[in-house]
Amino acid sequence: MKLLQGKKVQEMSRRENKHDLLLKEIWAKVRKKHFFPELPDPAISESIDRVALEIKSKRIILSQSFIEDAARHLPIEKVIEALLDHGVAHYTYCPWDFHTHLTLYQKAKKVLKDKDKAQKSTEYFMDVVADTHCFKEKDTPISHLYRHMERGIMDEAIHALYQKIWGVDLNVQGYEEIARKLSRIPYLDRKPWPESIRRFSNIIQGLIESEEKSGTLNQPSPMGQNDLGRYSLEEMDQGLKEFAMATGDPSTFKEVVNDFEDELKDAGYDTNNTMGLGSGSPLDADALFYMKLAENYSLPIKKVPIEKSGSLYPMSHSPWELGKPFRDIDPWTSFGKVMPGITQIWERTEGEVFGEREGIPNCIVVIDSSGSMTNPRQRLSHAVLGAACASDAYLRNDATVAVYNFSDAKHGGSQILDYTRHRKKIYQALCHYYGGGTRLDIEDIESLQDPSLPDMFIITDMQITNLEVLIGYLNGLENRVTAVHIGENERAWHFKRSTKLRKNISVYSVNKKEDVPKIVLGKIREYFGIAT
Amino acid sequence: MINPFEDFKEYPYEKKKIPLDRIVQAKEKVMEQIVEGYLKLVEEEVKDLVWLVEHSRLIKAYSSALRTIQKIDYDIDDIEELCLELDKGDRIPYLISGPAGIYLAALCNNAKEEKIQLRLHELKRAFHFLGYRLPEGKTLILKGNAGDFIGASLSGGKIIVEGSAGNWAGAGMIDGDLVITDNAGQNTGAWMSGGEIHIEGHIIGIGKIIHGGRIYHRGNLIRPYETTTR
Amino acid sequence: MAMPKNREETNGRKKVRDIYEFIRDNLYLNRPDIRVGDEYFNSALLFSLLSALNRGKELIIGEPGLGKTTSAEYVGAMTYRLPLGLIWASEVSGHPEQTEEKIIGRPDLGRLNQGEEVVVWSFLAQLPVKIVDEINRLPETKQSMILDGVDRGNWEYLNDVIINEEYCLFATANYQDRGTNTLIAPLIDRFDVMVESGHPGPDIALLIGMKDRHENVLRSPEYERNFQEILLERQDYHEKMHLVEALCNRFGDHMEKEFHIKMLSKTERKRIRDCMEKLPFDLDANAFLRTMIAELSFCCKYGQKRSDEHCEEGCHYTGFLCYHIKNCISNRFPTSVRTYSQSLAWLMGDEAVSIDHMKAVLPYTLAHRVQWKDEFISQKQAGQRRDPLQIFMAKEMVNEVYRRYNEQGHRIKNALAVAYQALSGKDLEPIEGDHPIYVEIKRDIEEGR
Repeated sequence: MKLLQGKKVQEMSRRENKHDLLLKEIWAKVRKKHFFPELPDPAISESIDRVALEIKSKRIILSQSFIEDAARHLPIEKVIEALLDHGVAHYTYCPWDFHTHLTLYQKAKKVLKDKDKAQKSTEYFMDVVADTHCFKEKDTPISHLYRHMERGIMDEAIHALYQKIWGVDLNVQGYEEIARKLSRIPYLDRKPWPESIRRFSNIIQGLIESEEKSGTLNQPSPMGQNDLGRYSLEEMDQGLKEFAMATGDPSTFKEVVNDFEDELKDAGYDTNNTMGLGSGSPLDADALFYMKLAENYSLPIKKVPIEKSGSLYPMSHSPWELGKPFRDIDPWTSFGKVMPGITQIWERTEGEVFGEREGIPNCIVVIDSSGSMTNPRQRLSHAVLGAACASDAYLRNDATVAVYNFSDAKHGGSQILDYTRHRKKIYQALCHYYGGGTRLDIEDIESLQDPSLPDMFIITDMQITNLEVLIGYLNGLENRVTAVHIGENERAWHFKRSTKLRKNISVYSVNKKEDVPKIVLGKIREYFGIAT
Repeated sequence: MINPFEDFKEYPYEKKKIPLDRIVQAKEKVMEQIVEGYLKLVEEEVKDLVWLVEHSRLIKAYSSALRTIQKIDYDIDDIEELCLELDKGDRIPYLISGPAGIYLAALCNNAKEEKIQLRLHELKRAFHFLGYRLPEGKTLILKGNAGDFIGASLSGGKIIVEGSAGNWAGAGMIDGDLVITDNAGQNTGAWMSGGEIHIEGHIIGIGKIIHGGRIYHRGNLIRPYETTTR
Repeated sequence: MAMPKNREETNGRKKVRDIYEFIRDNLYLNRPDIRVGDEYFNSALLFSLLSALNRGKELIIGEPGLGKTTSAEYVGAMTYRLPLGLIWASEVSGHPEQTEEKIIGRPDLGRLNQGEEVVVWSFLAQLPVKIVDEINRLPETKQSMILDGVDRGNWEYLNDVIINEEYCLFATANYQDRGTNTLIAPLIDRFDVMVESGHPGPDIALLIGMKDRHENVLRSPEYERNFQEILLERQDYHEKMHLVEALCNRFGDHMEKEFHIKMLSKTERKRIRDCMEKLPFDLDANAFLRTMIAELSFCCKYGQKRSDEHCEEGCHYTGFLCYHIKNCISNRFPTSVRTYSQSLAWLMGDEAVSIDHMKAVLPYTLAHRVQWKDEFISQKQAGQRRDPLQIFMAKEMVNEVYRRYNEQGHRIKNALAVAYQALSGKDLEPIEGDHPIYVEIKRDIEEGR
């Protein structure tokens, strides 16, 4: 028995080694075919049985049982090559990055209204795009693999589509109507992908609902799930940032990010950690939205200024003339002679060196969240975005930020956040919306003052009931104050007139809310001495 | 002179084509023709920069649209795509609701398919005159809220609005069925001479002049008024 | 009987790899940080070796004390068969009081007093391995003087000229700190590559710390004296170099015999360079490089990128590199890419240069040549990375262009093929597409016709 077992182990070991060698050989071929993607070497695993392959942290892992099964119909090299082509195409073509993945999902969800259905549709769409790209642009045996594969309802429909758009026979009968509709979508044109997945989802909605009824909706596709494990943490971070910028809408962002909250956590991306707090706290998608969006508007870190070194250095030679002093004569280049036409003197200039970085003061952000301002959790609030940009700029230059968020301060409608570098706390304080009256409490702002004279940014629509008190207070300050008000009104004019004489106070009126971040950043640029 | 592309001398520049390329290209061509037809109609109809809803104008616009689209080999997916293009405004710089609706109606009426479905709930704009002169044998399903003059001059077909309709729904209808699962606006059924209108939601107003046909509200006949036998 | 060429080439490659491994395992201990094919290399060491082989100019940046200069010294010594002490003696250190006389040469004062102008050339000017330490501390004119010399291998002083047949330059620079100048753009553009000599990590750092810093197998006081005697002789430079070469060979044989360390001879280096230069580029590598150059030089509004002309928002090509950079890439860039990717492909034993080699080389040839817009820098600088910002951004951008090439590589190659036919007289329309390369190809066709 032991001998037999030993023999079996030996056989298995031989087989494994053979597979490994084959995999290595085919991987080199596939890599070349796909222009050398930066992917780790793939592997074959016995522990994957439900799907043909998985991708974890960019590593393609093939299912040994699937390979052996498929090898009954097709040479094993072709099976491996087809699977690798499919996996690599997901990396090199669709979705390529996390932002694209989120965008496709968001469009699918708009049609299908359900997370699981939208994920299913997104996965299939990405599979179609990746496979079609492979089929058209690379010499791939994918079609041979699909001809002999076990299929569910959705897979049958998708393979019927492939029959139509690739012009190959995959042994699928039926689904002509759905394949006809699906074939009109320009899968290989990246630009209309958001529109394409919308149409794709519309067309396959019926099939997805059938799968739901039959209880097979959550079963993974034979070619594996396009889950978030394929992305690195940096890619997820970058993707969220781009997605925030692209949507420009906190509720859309929130909806998608909340849907992916568990998957993000499983993949190791802790949204709370990126916001400067430990894990365990629930996700605040609104705060995350403004944080990621503000990163797109970021200012450069203040450069070390170039200044004159204060010392003179020999720079070049010039001819000595009668009457000029002797002390700068260079005896070497003068060959030891002192005579016009031969003797040379050193020209000295002040060198330019890098000076020291000036300190950046701390910042107080005063933000109006009264009823007349946009609710940042429902629609994009440019006021909050401007405040977020200011906070981000100061934090990245190693300063701290305090927040005073006010509505009707006398009746509990205000929040004071003391100086901190905790991003999540800052963004949460900025995003808080009271929606009540507009009255601030000067003592609250005064409590945040300190002898280092922090910079102050006030963003409001100036519909403040105790505006006079604010004017009086600001006129007594030495801090650099930037007030940005949205829209023109009598109160705003009054504020401007009353603070005109103070050189440390700048008042900006914006008619388009979109200008708020620009104004804020422009002012910070001036404060920080960053050249445009 | 040096040819800087010498390295690619032997490269075969005929690309591998798959049926997808042909299908997408053909579809694009059809869309171009359809869009061109719409723009031509608008140019003809809106010479004075204003388009008034007049019976004679409607007939003229509809005939003009029919003439244009008869040369195009399109299907119902193209009609839906036209709605999206009109809504997006990328390819079509201006949407004038009246001619747009008439054009869409002409497309629907002339389509090979008998059953046509348009997903209006995905669109931001309202389209008027959908189902204009829909003939017998055709069914038009509008998923979402529709604009004004839905089913105007309905000519035997069936229109189902899975949402609300605007004003003048069923205006001048001759025959056929108009079903509105939600609300209807003012002047519903004005000048109708035949056919049936079924409304499940609220009706803001019924047309003052009704020559024939029936209007049902939540299953109850409200026009003509029910007469009780004595 | 002469060895078959292939075997010669294989032997040469093995020797170069052995040099790399010897330095990696014994002298310059650091982490591998770049992957080419299946292999991992340390970028600073790899590019130093390639620079030494293909007569390149390398800028090495890094924190003080992380082996910037020592890596170059070891590579120079082993590639050119020079004892380490001689390399040390020839180094120029960057400080503001450096003069032409200290860097290039000086008059022989004894002969000058007798009325003869004879130049005593510096070791830097004479030797093929040129190391300038902390080049950014030199004033601009001195930087210019060295780079002018290394550009063509010409060194002039007092109307006398020496021309180096083969040479390579390694210049080191610390990061910006008080007391440093900047390397201005025209000067920095002359460097072929920029690499970082990074921290090796605590474990390797400990190993380095445990080594005896005074003992170095590449030193040989006796040979160093002999070399210095020859270099100080007042004779014709070319004759002197023959003597130097002969002494190099003896030193090389001595090192092989005593320490089993194989170094490269002049003949071997030439043979290696010839092999490298003959390596063809596959069509994808060719097209990919054109795509890259297009994105770095194109401007739809002004015809080409210029430092004093800035694109506005709303440009159609905002998704491409041309929108994010201020300057136009120079023609030295493709030269550097070509040389280094051929060298790398040769080292890997490949028969042609592929995108793989190019992707490995591009960030290092690009990092110091591109001036990014401030807004773009600020978006990237806060992200997580392991490389210094310039190299990181260059890697990101190469990746971006790679993605685009992946999507439309075939179309681009088709466009190039059609362009060839069109310029050869065939009546073909240029292929259009959404990338600067198509616009540039079309322009070439129109202007060619």
